[in-house]
Amino acid sequence: MSVRCESIEINLNKREILKNISIEVNEKEILSIIGPNGAGKSTLLRTLAGDINPINGNIFYDEKNINQIDIQERAFTRSVMSQLQPIAFDFSVKEIVEMGWVDRGESEYADQFDDAVNEVIHKCGVKDLIDRNFNTLSGGEQRRIHFARTLLQLWRPSNSNDPKYLFLDEPTANLDLTYEIKLLNIVKEVAQEGAGVMLVLHDLNLAAKFSDKVAILKGGSLIDIGLPKDVLKSALLSDIYEIEVEVKNDPLLITYY
Amino acid sequence: MNSFLNVIGIKKIHITSKQFVILNVFIFTSCICFLIAAVTGSMNVSIRNLISGDINELTRIVLIEIRLPRVILAGLVGASLGISGAALQGLFRNPLADPGLIGVSAGAALGATLVIVLGSSISGGLFLGSFLLPLGAISGAMFVIMMLYLLTKGFGYQGVTYMLLVGIAVNAIAGVGIGILTFISTDSELRGLTFWTMGSFGGVTWPLLIPALVIIIISVSSMITVSRNLDLIQLGEPEAYRLGVDVKKLKYKIIISCAAAVGASVSLSGMIGFVGLVVPHLVRLFGGVNHNYLLPGSAFVGAALMITADMLSRTVIQPAELPVGLITSAIGSPFFLWLIFRIKRS
Repeated sequence: MSVRCESIEINLNKREILKNISIEVNEKEILSIIGPNGAGKSTLLRTLAGDINPINGNIFYDEKNINQIDIQERAFTRSVMSQLQPIAFDFSVKEIVEMGWVDRGESEYADQFDDAVNEVIHKCGVKDLIDRNFNTLSGGEQRRIHFARTLLQLWRPSNSNDPKYLFLDEPTANLDLTYEIKLLNIVKEVAQEGAGVMLVLHDLNLAAKFSDKVAILKGGSLIDIGLPKDVLKSALLSDIYEIEVEVKNDPLLITYY
Repeated sequence: MNSFLNVIGIKKIHITSKQFVILNVFIFTSCICFLIAAVTGSMNVSIRNLISGDINELTRIVLIEIRLPRVILAGLVGASLGISGAALQGLFRNPLADPGLIGVSAGAALGATLVIVLGSSISGGLFLGSFLLPLGAISGAMFVIMMLYLLTKGFGYQGVTYMLLVGIAVNAIAGVGIGILTFISTDSELRGLTFWTMGSFGGVTWPLLIPALVIIIISVSSMITVSRNLDLIQLGEPEAYRLGVDVKKLKYKIIISCAAAVGASVSLSGMIGFVGLVVPHLVRLFGGVNHNYLLPGSAFVGAALMITADMLSRTVIQPAELPVGLITSAIGSPFFLWLIFRIKRS
């Protein structure tokens, strides 16, 4: 079970954003995408999530071409968190979280709605925010709520084997140290429960610590992909980021100057 | 009443029990308003006599042929303006959207005026005529919403002031059009036209009411079916898409339903301002902002408010009548100012 793309190409405004990229997100696996600004990381994530149609190449969800999966079914299979927009009306935090609910019209799911919401709220530790007005929260708190919403979208009863995929674009932006680690621990838990996870991260140490695989992107091309200890090498990173990067092994520690 | 909510597609799962109770209060209130308005007027009818069937022929005619269509029309127009305001505010993600302010009503009025002045030679029978008028108004409303859509680049969230400015322009253009048509109209057409500029529920008859009734009920129900999608689009269009909303389909559905509801209303009652702005905000103040609650809430509060405003308009200075648009604007314009200051503060 995986989300896979085969030699995809993306052009936006006549500029080549992604060049001939093939990549696979397997279940129970966290794949982190790193690279400098403008490398095409977010575009790659959005393409795999089905937001953008590539001009060349194909995307497969569990060996089924994404074009054959309707948007309702996609919503049930994968959830996405990316840059967020302001919300015009005063929704409560609980309402925002509940927006993640995709019940697929199955009544056995609908019966477990309250349990699912409570489970997610508990898991994300946002119980104390739940009755507040969403627009009064800080940027970091809003991000945690959106994360909870993203998790609710992928909620399954414990006996379910439906594949699920989580796409997170810089999920730790605006988060303090505590919640940065907490959020990534939850992501890890979700992956262990069977989800395939794709992350765009800027912090190389977080990528090293939490990923099963790391992919490096630069200028729209896939430079390298593999286990963190195999990919995160000082020579390659120094070249990619054009600054001096030092990598120590056991445990993997990356320092830059 | 609860089963009524189920029938119109409100699943309890997406509204709180408090909102459920408030909705029921709204429904009850609009029923009471309807009853009171039906028996109040230049000729009062006692409810007790009505129930026991002890009424004379004249009272019966007044009630069935004059009072009832008028009160029903007021309720329908209030409901469609209220719910259209709520749906447009949701779709534009803009708390200041109102069919009147952004020019949709003006477009509808221009369409209707065109039909009255130029269409009188085309429309033969009364039946066709009574459909042609709403059709003209609906086309006008649809044209304006489409134009707004293009000019605000797909209802982008940034367009709060921009959209209102476009609305001012559209209102002015429609004003010019109506002005020219008024100028070239004959005396009898002019009589028909004054009907709009004032905004009134007087003079409505069953044959005129039925087409509008059908159009409004269909469009209101179609808006209610997409309540949850309107919630999801508040997160932004990409997010809504990722949550399984066919964004394009949603937009067309709202645009067409609003144009139909506002167009049908304007074709029968003229331009009545501020209801679409005031009602959704009032409903939000009572119980929250989610559209599963807001849309039906706005329909019922809009109906109650309009029935009451119309009742006041025909009873305050008897035997004369105040234009009902005057009453709604008197309530609505200060509210609009308050809203602007509130938005500025936050």
